[in-house]
Amino acid sequence: MTDTVSTASATFTWRDRFRRWLSEVFDEPASVRGAAVLRIVLGPCVIWHLRPFLADALDGITYHDRFQQPWWAWYPNAPEGLYVALLWIGLAAAVLMTVGWWSRIATWAAFAVVAYNLFLSQTHFHHNRAFLVILLAGVALCDNGRALSLDALRRPPPDDRALVWPIWLLRFEAVAVYFASGFSKLIDPDWVGGRVLHDRSVRYQNEVRDAIGDALADPVLEVVTARAFHWVLSPAAVATELFIAFGLWFRRTRLVAIWVAVAFHVGIEVTSHVQVFSVIAIGALALWAVPSTRDRTLVTPSRWVGWLDWMARFDITVVPGASWCMVDRDGTVLEGREARRFVRTRLPATFLFSRFWRYP
Amino acid sequence: MVVAQLALVANGYRDPHNYFAFQPFNESSTYAVELVRVLDDGQRVAVPNGRWEGYDWNELIDWGPLRSPWHQRHAFSGIDAVVDFLDHALDWMADNTPGDTETRYWEATVTYYRNARGPHVTVIRSHDRDLGGP
Repeated sequence: MTDTVSTASATFTWRDRFRRWLSEVFDEPASVRGAAVLRIVLGPCVIWHLRPFLADALDGITYHDRFQQPWWAWYPNAPEGLYVALLWIGLAAAVLMTVGWWSRIATWAAFAVVAYNLFLSQTHFHHNRAFLVILLAGVALCDNGRALSLDALRRPPPDDRALVWPIWLLRFEAVAVYFASGFSKLIDPDWVGGRVLHDRSVRYQNEVRDAIGDALADPVLEVVTARAFHWVLSPAAVATELFIAFGLWFRRTRLVAIWVAVAFHVGIEVTSHVQVFSVIAIGALALWAVPSTRDRTLVTPSRWVGWLDWMARFDITVVPGASWCMVDRDGTVLEGREARRFVRTRLPATFLFSRFWRYP
Repeated sequence: MVVAQLALVANGYRDPHNYFAFQPFNESSTYAVELVRVLDDGQRVAVPNGRWEGYDWNELIDWGPLRSPWHQRHAFSGIDAVVDFLDHALDWMADNTPGDTETRYWEATVTYYRNARGPHVTVIRSHDRDLGGP
């Protein structure tokens, strides 16, 4: 009897939680600051992405002048002049996105140009460009101009809240990238067994030598070209991607997963240039911030907290000469050094170097 | 969108290009191509450094992953993706070299190492070109 009651109760709790989650996702407005941060990151990345196409266009070269492989026969091919004009429109939209002027329209425009260009030819496809298109679409679906924008300065909204289902959609997409990459490598014996990375390391060792010089390269290459090294590195890389994919979902592991993700992307960028992927993937981590703002109070003598609190984690009162005092969401009070340490774990610029594991 | 993304991820195990399936750095394969023009009379003419009849492969194709394929190259996105692109590139070449009035079709012998295993050899060719004539 007791078992039956507790099972029914657990079922009810699970359903109740699910309904509450659906309501949070689709009905209740919440802070869209994470999407605003991502918009600011994506703007320069769109410029960076369009730069080689524009450079070619300035030299009179477009996709018409080289090998192309259309995705679909029906897809409209812009004449050369219109194509170049579209690239410039994309560039202008990216600038507007960055400063947050006509934020949403600019994000849609940037999305349209980047997506159109991607689908002109299969030779334009790269995974990082696909991810860029997806992120642009998700940010455009969100009312991203309500925070960190000229729009919000010109016509201040009552708050930075809007419907956040696009943020949940983007969270899924971001996790799908880590999971798809990690899982495909996990089931590939050549990858997880180290053969792929070892072969690449051996093949590109001259580039390492060119980059860091012979004196430093010798000991480095001795390690990274050893077969045994890749028996460890490759499974570790796979485990890292899968850990990020799952760790981001849970509150207890989220901060660790974000830290690991930043380190992972920096590592990839240093060893393999992946166009805009590293930057947009790190920017997308802003989507995992709890979508509520200024729900912790902080008294501090320092103005720098306000400047670095891009995610608006704190309701800050600057009192010259005062000691630090922070009241958390659950009413926990931290003072002095503890408060300072906690604050550092919640600021994007200091998070990486903080003791974040002490305050999950 | 969630279902579409999951479908694309699953499709990546079938599609050589892994479009929207997010499988970066999937292989360390390499390849090299021996490119020949096959003339109307069946004669096979080598194309040293991709140059012939005033044309230049690198200038025409102008795409990093297929640049100078007669040298040993890394197979961008995997060997299956490269072979598929090469196949289309040969057709594109056949359609975009009107000054070449001799070549009936293009043929590429691709020698590749999949994750350092091989060599494997596959031969691909373009469609036949219309050379006019009687």
